[in-house]
Amino acid sequence: MNIWVKRAYAALVFAFLYLPLVVIAVYSFNASKYSLAWKGFTLQWYGRLLDNATLVDAAFRSMTIAVVSATVSCVIGTLAAFMLHQYRFRGRRAVFASIFVMMMSPDIVIGISLLVLFLGVGLSLGFWTLLMGHVTLCVPFVTATVYTRFKGFDPTVVEAARDLGAVEYQVFRRIVLPMAAPGLVAGWLLSFTMSLDDVIVSFFTTGPTYEVLPLRIYSMVRLGIKPDVNALSVVMITVTVAAVLLSRRLLKEKS
Amino acid sequence: MKKLLLAIVLTLAFAVPALAGSGELYLYIWSEYIPDEVVENFTKETGIKVHLSTYDSNEAMYAKIKLAGDGYDLIVPSSDYVGLMRRQDMLLPLDKSKLTNFPNLSDKFTDQPFDPDNTFSVPYMWGSTAIAVNTGTLGEAAVTSYADLWKPEMNGRLLLPNDPREVFAIALKSLGYSLNDTDPAHLEQAYQKLKALMPYVRVFDSDSPKQALLSGEVSVGVIWNGEAYIANQENPEIQYVYPKEGFSMWMDSLCIPKGAKNLDEAHAFLNYLLRPDVAAAISTEMGYSTPNAKAAEFLEPEVAGNPIVYPDAATAAHGEFQDDIGEAMKLYEDYWVKLKGSND
Repeated sequence: MNIWVKRAYAALVFAFLYLPLVVIAVYSFNASKYSLAWKGFTLQWYGRLLDNATLVDAAFRSMTIAVVSATVSCVIGTLAAFMLHQYRFRGRRAVFASIFVMMMSPDIVIGISLLVLFLGVGLSLGFWTLLMGHVTLCVPFVTATVYTRFKGFDPTVVEAARDLGAVEYQVFRRIVLPMAAPGLVAGWLLSFTMSLDDVIVSFFTTGPTYEVLPLRIYSMVRLGIKPDVNALSVVMITVTVAAVLLSRRLLKEKS
Repeated sequence: MKKLLLAIVLTLAFAVPALAGSGELYLYIWSEYIPDEVVENFTKETGIKVHLSTYDSNEAMYAKIKLAGDGYDLIVPSSDYVGLMRRQDMLLPLDKSKLTNFPNLSDKFTDQPFDPDNTFSVPYMWGSTAIAVNTGTLGEAAVTSYADLWKPEMNGRLLLPNDPREVFAIALKSLGYSLNDTDPAHLEQAYQKLKALMPYVRVFDSDSPKQALLSGEVSVGVIWNGEAYIANQENPEIQYVYPKEGFSMWMDSLCIPKGAKNLDEAHAFLNYLLRPDVAAAISTEMGYSTPNAKAAEFLEPEVAGNPIVYPDAATAAHGEFQDDIGEAMKLYEDYWVKLKGSND
């Protein structure tokens, strides 16, 4: 009895998480353009997607900004986590607190305040401002994931390395980084996803030269979402799942 | 579509002369509101590279222009936002000498109260908000006017827009007032009238109201014609009725915001969009009506002859465009909150 309850519960959770994706995938092959009725199998939306240059461009821009901002966030976030874990310095608690404040801040507040800052400094909105916006959004999450990973370390390993003459950089490069790798990968993937589907911060921080996919899709509501978007979603889900699987394999091989 | 593309290719012979500086143009527009081919052809003809970015609501566009200010050369606000941005001095006057195709526009759509003389705006697309009826469930003659929405058989079968202006337009029109009315006494009357209608409402939806009609969840809905056109294509029993009392019309216009840098390119693009063949291509692709009078000959007959897209002149004369109503919007919002609250 008990085991079945547990299984049913788990099945429910997974159904709740994955059914929407399945529905999107199914509809991306549906010949009907607007109605929810099934009108036969077609690949035409995938063909249409290839013709829809503006949508594909926006998707590429989204992917680019997601990769770059995840990578930059990882560098900054990991360094911050290492500092917070390894050293005791004045203002450490304040830094800690500010990271959590950033995590709790609503996107709209971050978006508007960044916009006001960029305009105040006189930056023109585009790729770089968007990148700064996304990095701001992601760094606290990377820091938190990597920091918890550091917490689980055996500190004596680092001390042993120092006793054996390792300088600070070598400790970081040879000991800390490899041990933190799973946390890093998790942080990178989290950032990647956050950047990829962020609407609000992107809306405020990007300019006319660099429009990303979520904004493009979001502004389709006026005229109805076209089935091209279903096809694009399936392509992007596939790419994301492949990236996750690949990263897991790489991690396995390392350890 | 092929025929149209051919027409576009043929008219390339009479293309506008290319500009000296092959520049850039930053267009800020509703998503999927201009066909890619139209933009590509413009680039082919003029060498001007068009950068598209999109917004999902007038409010979002307005916020971005108000906050960020520059970077956009052309925007496409709805009529009430043209009025608002004009009054707030956020738009640049157009240089009519560069818009040689402007006379192609039908005078039904030019010189409107929200922008007298079209100093700031060029009509792009227009449409109506009226009543879609499922004649299969309600019968052919169930609805001919807004007053019919108050009939008891509509109970639980009605869809209204999720928008205070559009909903008040229903009551104001059925009382015989303008839908831009700001007289508090009239608004109070409209509110009382709507209060009686609220129990009948099953769905408020402005995003994709055709879904509820197609699935049969509602049988009658106040929706805009682009949605009605699609619903009618899917299910011919869903018909579109222009109410006797008059109805609300929407129009999106192209404007140049203050802070635009590429003025020559913007005017070249405006003049290109005013060409009859281009206007027809956009209208056919998008299923919306073009204000371009000369475009009719380029339109496919099934589009040009469809009253959902192109109502006859007598019907269209009953339509009224929304304008910005300034301070009165607060009253609307207050009543709206009360109405929505009474519906839970």
